[in-house]
Amino acid sequence: MIKKTFIAVTAIAASLLSSAHAQEPVDALNVQDIVDRASAAAYYQGRDGRASVHMAILDAQGRERTRDFVILRTDIDDLDNGEQRFYVLFERPADISKTAFLVWKHADANDDRWLYLPALDLVKRIAPSDERTSFVGSHFFYEDVSGRGPGEDDHVLEEETDAYYVIRSTPKDAQGVEFASYKNWIHKTTFIPVKTEYYDASGEAYRTYSATAVETIDGNPTVVEATMADTRIGGETRMSYGDVAYDIDLPEDIFSERYLRNPPRRHLR
Amino acid sequence: MNSITSSATNHPSLHMRLAAIFSAIMIALVAAPSLAPGTFDFLQPLKIDTDPENMLAADEPVRVFHNEMKAEFTLHDLIVVGVVNTAHKEGVFNAETLGEIHALAEYAETIRWKAENDDTEQQGVIAIDIIAPSTVDSIEQAGLGSVRFNWLLPAPPTSDEEALAVRERAQRIPTLNDTLVSGDGTAIALYIPITSKDVSFRVAKALRSKIAEFEGDAVFHITGLPIAQDQFGVEMFKQMAISAPAAMALIFALMWLFFRRLDLIVSPMIVAMVSVIGAMGLLVATGNTVHIMSSMIPIFVMPIAVLDAVHILSDFYDRYPAIKDRRKTLDHVMGELWQPMLFTTLTTCTGFASLAFTPIPPVQVFGIFVAIGVFFAWFFTVTLIPAYIMLMPEKAFSGFGMGAKGEDADHETTPLARFLHSVGEVAVTRSKIIVSIFLIALAIAGYGVTQIRINDNPVKWFGPDHDIRVADRALNERFGGTYMAYLALSAPESDDASAIAVEIDNRLAALDTQAARTLAEEARERQTKFNTGDEFVAALRASGERARDDADADDDWYAWDDALLAVDAALQSRDIFKRPDVLRYIEKLQRHLGETGLVGKSNAVTDIVKTVHRDLFLGEEEAFRIPDTPEAVAQTLITFQNSHRPQDLFKLVTPDYRKAVVWLQLKSGDNVDMSAVIAAVERYVAANPPPTVIDHDWFGLTYINVAWQQKMVSGMARAFLGSFVIVLILMTLLFRSFAWGLLSMAPLTVTIGVIYGVIGLIGKDYDMPVAVLSSLSLGLAIDYAIHFNARSRQIYRELGDWASTAKAAFGEPARAIFRNVIVIGVGFLPLLLAPLVPYQTVGAFISAILVLAGVATLLGLPALITIFQPILFPKRSEV
Repeated sequence: MIKKTFIAVTAIAASLLSSAHAQEPVDALNVQDIVDRASAAAYYQGRDGRASVHMAILDAQGRERTRDFVILRTDIDDLDNGEQRFYVLFERPADISKTAFLVWKHADANDDRWLYLPALDLVKRIAPSDERTSFVGSHFFYEDVSGRGPGEDDHVLEEETDAYYVIRSTPKDAQGVEFASYKNWIHKTTFIPVKTEYYDASGEAYRTYSATAVETIDGNPTVVEATMADTRIGGETRMSYGDVAYDIDLPEDIFSERYLRNPPRRHLR
Repeated sequence: MNSITSSATNHPSLHMRLAAIFSAIMIALVAAPSLAPGTFDFLQPLKIDTDPENMLAADEPVRVFHNEMKAEFTLHDLIVVGVVNTAHKEGVFNAETLGEIHALAEYAETIRWKAENDDTEQQGVIAIDIIAPSTVDSIEQAGLGSVRFNWLLPAPPTSDEEALAVRERAQRIPTLNDTLVSGDGTAIALYIPITSKDVSFRVAKALRSKIAEFEGDAVFHITGLPIAQDQFGVEMFKQMAISAPAAMALIFALMWLFFRRLDLIVSPMIVAMVSVIGAMGLLVATGNTVHIMSSMIPIFVMPIAVLDAVHILSDFYDRYPAIKDRRKTLDHVMGELWQPMLFTTLTTCTGFASLAFTPIPPVQVFGIFVAIGVFFAWFFTVTLIPAYIMLMPEKAFSGFGMGAKGEDADHETTPLARFLHSVGEVAVTRSKIIVSIFLIALAIAGYGVTQIRINDNPVKWFGPDHDIRVADRALNERFGGTYMAYLALSAPESDDASAIAVEIDNRLAALDTQAARTLAEEARERQTKFNTGDEFVAALRASGERARDDADADDDWYAWDDALLAVDAALQSRDIFKRPDVLRYIEKLQRHLGETGLVGKSNAVTDIVKTVHRDLFLGEEEAFRIPDTPEAVAQTLITFQNSHRPQDLFKLVTPDYRKAVVWLQLKSGDNVDMSAVIAAVERYVAANPPPTVIDHDWFGLTYINVAWQQKMVSGMARAFLGSFVIVLILMTLLFRSFAWGLLSMAPLTVTIGVIYGVIGLIGKDYDMPVAVLSSLSLGLAIDYAIHFNARSRQIYRELGDWASTAKAAFGEPARAIFRNVIVIGVGFLPLLLAPLVPYQTVGAFISAILVLAGVATLLGLPALITIFQPILFPKRSEV
C-alpha cells in the first residue's frame, strides 16, 4: 500500500514536471497521455499476472497450426510503462513442450531475450535486433506480445468518437519497422486498444489487430481474445487467453536464466 | 472439266467477288472483337498464348498436380533479375551496386495495382515473397553465445567493406548461397514473384525504367520464364509480320522469273492469301489461341497453297502457245491436273489432320487448321486461278508461254527442258545405280535415325544472341542454375487409429506412473471405437484432461499432464518430415543429386534445419547437421519461425509435415538433362529405400516440358504411322493398283528417312518443330509423286511404251515439279532470318524436304518404274 501511494505521488510529480518543462501543446500532451494509458491497460494490468494462451495460426490456405503456452509476467516496482519481465513456457505442440522464452523488457533500451530449447539442451541469448519478427511463426510480432514502447512513435489524435480515441502513430525511426504508420482505436473508458491497423508507404492497411473479447478479471479489463490478420501473407492468428489471474505474487527470481531449464511448474499449473 | 471449275470459268468475276467477301468476313470476325472488345461479346478476340504449360491439356494429371503443388507450397512464377558487375573486382559487392540493388528491391515492392475488373484483387509483384538482400533474413552469431536474426541488408551499405560483409553473411547460408548470391561471390540474383504470368510484361517494364536511373557499372539482366514467354509472344508476331510476308515476296519473285507475267502470277498469291486468311480467321473465330504452333499455320499453308497453283500455271504456260485459247487451254490443263490435285490435297490434309490424334492440344489445333487451310487452298486454286485467267483479256496472252517468243515454238529446247530431259534419260538408263544410291542413303539414314537425340528446351527457341539467352548464360555461369524443378515427397495419406494406438501405448508405458497406466488402459479399450487417429486422440485427451483437472495433489496433476503430453507426442509421430532419419535421407539424396553434375543447387527443409542448428551452436561447422531427435528438429524450426519470414518454411514443407519439396536448380533446361535427373532419383530411391514409406513425384516447368515432350514423341510417331497407312490406301485407290500405291510412297519414304537420318547424324535435337515436320514432309513429298505418277500413267495410256512415256513425262510434268521445288524451296529460306529458332528450323527443313522430295521423285520414280516395268505396266504389250 505504501509502495503504491509512493508510486502514484511520483507519477503525478513526474507528469507535472514534464508539463512544466516541455511546454508542449496541450493536444500533444493529451495524446501522449492517452497512448501511455493505453499501453498500461494493454500490458501493465495488475502487479503481475498469468494466462494460458491458445494460439491458432490460420494460413492463407486455411491450414491451422496451434501453439499452447503459459505466460507469466511481472512489472518491476509495479510501474506502468516501466520495466517488465515475461516468462513464456510452451506446452503444445508436444515436440516443443518446455521450450521457453524469457524477456526482460526495458523501457528505454532493447529488450533482453533468452530462448530455451529443451531437446537441444540449449539456452540461447537472442541478440537485440528489430523486434518486428514473427512470434513463433504466428501473425503476431514479438513486439505485439511484449508491447511497443509508447515513446517510439509520434502520436496524433486523428478522431474522437463516442467510444474511441483514434490515434495515428508514426515511427520516430523509420529504419527497422515495416510500417509507415499505424492507427489505434483506444476505448475511452478502459483505454484498451481494440483495433490497430498498420499502413504501408502507399497508405494501404495490410495488418490488422482486433481485440475480439474483453472481460473484467480481478477488476482489470482484460483482452481475452485477439486476432492479427496480415494481407501480405494472408490468414490470421487468434489468441485466446484462459485462466487469467492478476496479482498472484510471482517471485521475481523465476524470471531468470536459471529457471529456463527448470520451469517453475507450480506457477504454471 | 469439273463442275466447280466450269462454274468458275463461266462466272469468273462472281468467284473473285465471293473470295473477296469470304476474306473480308474472316478479317472482320477477328478484327471486330480484337479491336473493339466488349462491343462484340459474341465473337472471339485474338488470343495469344505463349505459355509452354499449355502444351498439355488443362486437365492433364501432370499439370493438375503441378498447379496443386504450386498452390500448396505457395510457389509463384518468378521474374529473375540477375545483377553482374564486371567492372568492379568484387563484382556487385561494392557500396554503389548494392545500393542500387537495395533501391531496386524497394521499388519492386511497390509495383502492384488493382485488377481491372475486381477492385479487391491486387496484381503485380508479391512484395512479401521477394528474394533480395534487403528482404531475406540472415541468422548469425552476435558475440558470446548470442544469435541474431536480421535482414541481410537492412539499409544501403555506406562502404565497400559493409558490402563485402553482406556477401560473407549470405554465403554462410546455404539457402541463399548460389541462389541469391552467386557461387563465385560476384553476382546477385533477385527473385521477384508475380501474381500471374500475364503481368510480367508490365512488371518488367517498370523494373527497366527503374534500372535506367542507375548510373553504376552493373548490368541488370531481367529474365525468368514469364519474361521469356512475353518475349516469345513479341517475336512470334515479328515472325508472322516479317518472315512470312518475306517468304511470300520471294516466292512471288521466283514465279516471276519462271513465268515472266506479273499479272498472271498474282493469282497464286491471292489463293495463298485467301487460304491463310480463311484458316487463321477460323482459328481465331472458333476461340482457339495463337500459340507457337498455330502461329506457324500461315507458313505451312502458303507453300501448299502455291504448290497446286504452280502446277496449273506451269501446265498453262507450256500448253498455251500450242492451243492459243485460254478456255481451251484451261480445259486441257484442268483435265490433266484435276485428279492429281484432288489427291495431293487429300493426302496433305490426311497428314496434318492425323495430328489431331496427338495428345498435345496446340499440335491438334495446328494439324486441324493446316488441313482446313490446305482444303481452302485447293478450293481456291481450282476456282480462282481459272477465274483469274478468264478475267484477263485474251490479248494479254499474246506472246505468252514457253517458247512463245521463239520462231519454231519448240518448248522442249529451252535450257530447263534440255536439263530435265537429260535427268530423265539418266534415271531410265542408270536406274539400278540410282535405286542403289537411294538404298544406301536410306541405310545410312537408318543408322542416323538411331542416333536421334530427343530433346527440347523452350529457352533455346530463342537465338544464341537473344537477350534471353545472354541472360540465361550469364546467370547459369555464376549461379546454381535458373531452371527450377521440384521433387515432391509425401507420406501416404492415412489416419489410422491403430498405428497411433501403438505409439500411445509405448509412450505411456515409458512414463511408468499410475496416471499413465490408467490412460493406457482406457486407450486400449477405446481404440477400436474410432475410425481416425484424430478422433481417437481427441477422445482420449478429453478424458485425460478431466482427470488432470480433478487432481488435487500437485504430483497427480503433473503425472496426468505428462501422460497427456505423451498422447499428443504419439500423434505427432505422423509428422514424418521432422524425423531425423527421414531428413538425413533427403540430405543424402540432395548430395547424390549434386554429384550428378546436372543439379547446381538444391534447397530443402534440411538446409533450414542444418543452418539454424549450426548457428544455435556458435556457428561451428560440425553443428551443421540434422539434430538427433524429432523434438530437436521441431525446436530448430520453431526458432526459424521467429524470423521476419516464417512463411518461407512452408514453401519447403507443409504445416502438417507430411509433404515436403526439394527445390532443384538445374543449369540446363534441356529435357535430356531433366530426364537424367529424374532417372538419377529413380535409381537412388531403388537402391536406397527411404526409412519410411515416402512417395515422390515431380513438378515445375522443367519437368512439364519433359512430360509433354514424351507425349509428343509417341503421339507424333502414332500420327505419322497412321497417316502413312492412310496415304498408302489413298494412293492404291487413286491408281487402282497396290504396286503403284507402294511406288508413290517411295519418294516420301526416302525424303523422311534422309531428313531424320541427317538430323540424327548432325546431332540436331529432335524437338517440337522437327517432330511436326514429319507430317509436312509426308504431305509435300507425296504431292510430287502423285503428279509424276498420274501424269506418267496418262501419257503411257496414249503412247503405250515406257521409254517414250518417260521422255514425255520429263517434258511439262517434270518442269512443273521442278518449278515447284525451286519456287517453294527457295521461297522459304527467308525463315532462316526469323528471330526464333523453331521458325528457322522449319524454314531450313521445308527447303530440304522439297529439294529431296523433288530429287527422289524425278530420279527415283522413273528409275523404279524402269526396274519394275513388268509389274507397273502389266500386259500392255500383250493387249
